[in-house]
Amino acid sequence: MTPETTLTAAPKTAAPATEGDPLVRVRNLKMYFPIYRGVLRRQVGEVKAVDDLSFDIFRGETLGLVGESGCGKSSAGRAILRLYDVTDGQILLDGTDIAPLSGRELRRLRPEMQMIFQDPQASLNPRMTVASIIAEPLDEHRRLDRRARMERVFELMDAVGLDRDFANRFPHEFSGGQRQRIGIARALALNPKFIVCDEPIAALDVSIQAQVVNLLEDLQERMGLTYLFISHDLSMVRHLATRVAVMYLGRIMEIGSRDQLYDDPRHPYTQALLSAVPEPDPAAESDRHRIILEGDVPSPANPPEGCNFCTRCPQVKDICKRETPAFRQMSDGRFIACHLV
Amino acid sequence: MLNFTIRRLLFTIPTLLFISFVIFFILDAAPSDPTGNLPLTIPPDVREKIRESLGLDQPMIIRYLLWCKQFFVNEPLNLLAQWGINIGDPDRLRVISFQTRSPVVDLIAQRMPQTLWVVGMSYVVGVLIALPIGIISAVKQYSWFDQMGTFISMIGFSVPTFFTGVLMIVIFSVWLGWFPSIYDTTLVVDSWRTLGLQIRQMAMPVFVLALFNAAQISRFMRASMLDNLNQDYVRTARAKGLRERTVLLVHVLRNSLIPVITVIALGVPQVFGGAIITEQVFKVNGLGQLLIIAIQGGDIPTVQTLTFIFAVLIVLFNLIADILYGILDPRIRYD
Amino acid sequence: MKLKSLLLGAAASLALASAAQAGRGDSGHLNIIYWQAASIMNPYLSGGTKDVDASSMVLEPLAHYDENGNMVPVLAADIPTVNNGGVSKDLTSITWKLKPGLKWSDGSAVTAKDVVFTANYCMDETGGCQQLAKFADVTKVEALDDLTVKITFGKPKPFPYGPFVGSTTPVIQARQFADCKGIKAPTCTEANFNPIGTGPFKVDEFRANDTITLSANQNFRDPDKPAFATVTFKGGGDAASAARSVLETGEFDYAWNLQIAPEILAQMEAKGKGKILAGFGPLVERLMVNLTDPNPKWGDERSTVKHPHPFLSDKAVRKALSMAIDRTTLVEVGYGKAGRVTCNVLPSPAIYNSTANDSCKVQDIAGANKLLDQAGWKRGPDGVRQKNGVRLSILYQTSTNAVRQDFQALIKDWWRQIGVETELKNIDAAVFFGGDQSSPDTFQKFFADIEMYANNFDGTDPEAYMGSWKCSEIPSPENAWLGANMPRYCNPAYDKLVAEMAGTADINKRAELAKAMNDMLMQDYVIIPLVWRGNVAARANTLAGVRLNVWDSDLWNIADWSREK
Ligand SMILES: Nc1ncnc2c1ncn2[C@@H]1O[C@H](COP(=O)(O)OP(=O)(O)O)[C@@H](O)[C@H]1O
Ligand SMILES: [Mg+2]
Repeated sequence: MTPETTLTAAPKTAAPATEGDPLVRVRNLKMYFPIYRGVLRRQVGEVKAVDDLSFDIFRGETLGLVGESGCGKSSAGRAILRLYDVTDGQILLDGTDIAPLSGRELRRLRPEMQMIFQDPQASLNPRMTVASIIAEPLDEHRRLDRRARMERVFELMDAVGLDRDFANRFPHEFSGGQRQRIGIARALALNPKFIVCDEPIAALDVSIQAQVVNLLEDLQERMGLTYLFISHDLSMVRHLATRVAVMYLGRIMEIGSRDQLYDDPRHPYTQALLSAVPEPDPAAESDRHRIILEGDVPSPANPPEGCNFCTRCPQVKDICKRETPAFRQMSDGRFIACHLV
Repeated sequence: MLNFTIRRLLFTIPTLLFISFVIFFILDAAPSDPTGNLPLTIPPDVREKIRESLGLDQPMIIRYLLWCKQFFVNEPLNLLAQWGINIGDPDRLRVISFQTRSPVVDLIAQRMPQTLWVVGMSYVVGVLIALPIGIISAVKQYSWFDQMGTFISMIGFSVPTFFTGVLMIVIFSVWLGWFPSIYDTTLVVDSWRTLGLQIRQMAMPVFVLALFNAAQISRFMRASMLDNLNQDYVRTARAKGLRERTVLLVHVLRNSLIPVITVIALGVPQVFGGAIITEQVFKVNGLGQLLIIAIQGGDIPTVQTLTFIFAVLIVLFNLIADILYGILDPRIRYD
Repeated sequence: MKLKSLLLGAAASLALASAAQAGRGDSGHLNIIYWQAASIMNPYLSGGTKDVDASSMVLEPLAHYDENGNMVPVLAADIPTVNNGGVSKDLTSITWKLKPGLKWSDGSAVTAKDVVFTANYCMDETGGCQQLAKFADVTKVEALDDLTVKITFGKPKPFPYGPFVGSTTPVIQARQFADCKGIKAPTCTEANFNPIGTGPFKVDEFRANDTITLSANQNFRDPDKPAFATVTFKGGGDAASAARSVLETGEFDYAWNLQIAPEILAQMEAKGKGKILAGFGPLVERLMVNLTDPNPKWGDERSTVKHPHPFLSDKAVRKALSMAIDRTTLVEVGYGKAGRVTCNVLPSPAIYNSTANDSCKVQDIAGANKLLDQAGWKRGPDGVRQKNGVRLSILYQTSTNAVRQDFQALIKDWWRQIGVETELKNIDAAVFFGGDQSSPDTFQKFFADIEMYANNFDGTDPEAYMGSWKCSEIPSPENAWLGANMPRYCNPAYDKLVAEMAGTADINKRAELAKAMNDMLMQDYVIIPLVWRGNVAARANTLAGVRLNVWDSDLWNIADWSREK
């Protein structure tokens, strides 16, 4: 069954989960934010925004990262791109562990990996023109003369479908979709291999979302990009992603190929999450029964003992409240963290 | 922008006229008597004659119109005459102070140097120390530097300048004898030695006022920096692989400065208003002291003229702040 | 201080170092601070003390008052009196003779025409002259010759020294002010800021409400004076910082009018850089005794002469109240160096100060008790004396003021020791002194038994002041409570003395009459003096020649000031 979307591109065939050559390998990644309180601003605890993530992203694929708001998706994406100093773990980009790097060494690797942000307005410096926004990374990392630099800027503007005449305008003079195109052009300026798209369409009008997604897909094809596509829009992820990871409270609950997850979710959380997605097929939609989760998501500053999902899991067992489930690979290739499967 | 400026300038004219009338009206309604400070031994009938000689027996509206003529017509003509352009009768009546019987505008001109030297310098010094402190405090939020900055600006804010001023005089003039406790407005700076004297006599009042100014502006700078530091475009800049210095100084600072510059511009009229208390404590005798003496002495023409000039400056610097905002922030367009 | 003036001073002192006598400019530079800045150098356009004092360095009157309140000739050759023929027998005119050879600072001669001009300048109706009251009753001022001026009054003036005596009415130059009379007075900024004078200094730069820079007048009549070559007269700030700049930092040589807490002043003086000076005018803090009954039961006749006071009309009680007071303690507590013990309501000028009442200087509680016992006031069970059902219970009022409330508490305790009960009341100064007819709390209505305040008079002549205690000056509903005779004292003998003084011109005779009046009030115990209050100034240790003067400008003798080695 083909999902009925507004998108023009045909859905991809899912690549097998373990197939291929990983571009990014994340191992035991932890991103804790310290909490300071009181007059003396003493550290009284930490927000475990990302707690022990391990997964691979293969060359040329799109890994979808889904989960409720606040579960740590953005933190994970930023940590992987080393926009944060990570608390612990390894991030291997093309075999180099970038987790412990800093300063100049890290800057040298920046061209390889880029990010497209959720809010295109806020992520562009309001006092810089489009040309200078796009050109700035070139100045920093490439030695180009003025002509060549402008040439490259125009090239990028063409690539993302922006009119060259707008090069000297400021971001606020553009519409949301155009701004996101500027953000994309900027991200592409240094020919990165790997791009984290952090909800790149969430802030856009529905009519524009499709254009931007098409552009992303188009660019991926032309430039051989690898995406980590963060979204809470499960239908969009289904459309775009080759594989999907489901996060809950800083941890990955389940990761597998798109079809494995959407057609046969195993983890109780994945099941609950997907049950909330309207089925495009009206017949299936009428069968669908929603799993309503009780209670609130616990605070990442104070996650429960045992499985992070145990406080809300409809199938919770005693062991869930005692032991943290291992992140295990299943026979079909997917990984899952659950005592019940 | 030009259209906007011209439109705003035209609009300020009726506003300022109205303000001048309100000031006059309030001054007239307030119980201030230019003969009130005279010794009690001067009898009431003599006081009445003095009031008559000052024109106070005229109705308010006549006095107001007279002031308008003196201030808006005669004073500018007089200024032109000083540049050699003579229009009309050179003997026209200027705005005359009740207390000193001399033209108010001349008094103001005489006060300008010390006010600009001390209050103006303290503003410049205040801004110059406030900006780096604000920046560092924001970049190193909650570090000991930031905590110290918070503490010092709290002191700068809350401890009145008459207290810090007198404290400094006791320490640096009385105990240590480093600086004079009384400012010499007649000092002419024409050599290295006199420059040294000038710096020494400015040191304490400038420091006290600069502390006060810096306290406010550094807090503002810090808040603005923090606002911007958490913005997505900063993350974008880091993602671009820029040096941290470039990120902070080019991206964050330039954006954070927009509101701070506006606040600094809005604060400039205060410089001309003088710092009444600090001027009193260190005997700087600038515009602030002129105003306070005029108020105490019921010197209505001086109070009126000074207050009105402050009003003009406030209106003007509001406009300048708006224009600066428009220039600095491409998102703002006035046309 | 300008480099130039330093060098000038140094050069001058080098040149004259060998001369035995100190010469003009020898002492270099003088720094004076007035915490109220001078606005103008023309006392006719501003009667403020600061302005009068500042201009007294440049402009001079015909005669000054010295620190004892005696007249000394300045521009005049001597003081005209009836005896020397200067004052006419009928007391309606006075004729002044100028010293010969006097010069203005611009080198031109001083003549009687300048004096005449000055009088007309001030008496011009439209000029707003602030010293007009000094010219009261003057009908004509004429120059008899170049050096002689005759002032004629419209009625006999036993004290004809209003115009041109003291720094408030100096002589200004006719030529400089010729175009500045009447409505044009305020437009003569240059003349008002830089008057040409005869005094020891002339203005180099006048910064209104800030600083005056002066230098020695090369045409000053005494070739060896002034000792100082240049003067800076700085204004602004407050009394405490002015005191500090003389006593603690030594930046200034002289500070004027230092009304600050006595203990703070004493601490500053302890630094050893300067001295505190006190000058005493006629200001006396005193108790007024109500001789009439303030009891509300009398309604509209409260505190009027219709009802004598039930116990304060007994002189023994009034005397005992005075004896019980320790004036030395009051001075220490309230005023320090700015106060003195006095037993007179008229302690100065010196020639008017009586010594007849000095027994009050020591407290005598035992004597007061004995006096009351003898008068038949017996202590009741609560310790309060009484006689015939009348208790010695006093309502004691004054204005709200920290020092006055301290005084009330002390006096209440002393009176308790002689069996007198006291209830204290303090009233906001604006109400107490405000003279509002509708308020029951004014000092004129005096709806209390005792009230305390200070009072004095202008100038050196006490005639009008002593006239306050005539019968006709008693405040009452009939005269809308106007009048200065708070005790409601009415003594024909006293009124006779007042009338006699009004017809007496001889200064010594006048002094005797005033002393007699003072003694009469003191010995009747209707006014109980507490503290003689003075003016305080400070001078640097190295400044010599200062004679603090409350009757004239502080700087009246600045020509005699010099730097001590
Ligand atoms: N800089 C930070 N400091 C402290 N806590 C943070 C920070 N960034 C994110 N968090 C916390 O980490 C958790 C995950 O946030 P985030 O990664 O933004 O979630 P998502 O992108 O999935 O909505 C949230 O509880 C959030 O409050
Ligand atoms: Mg997010």
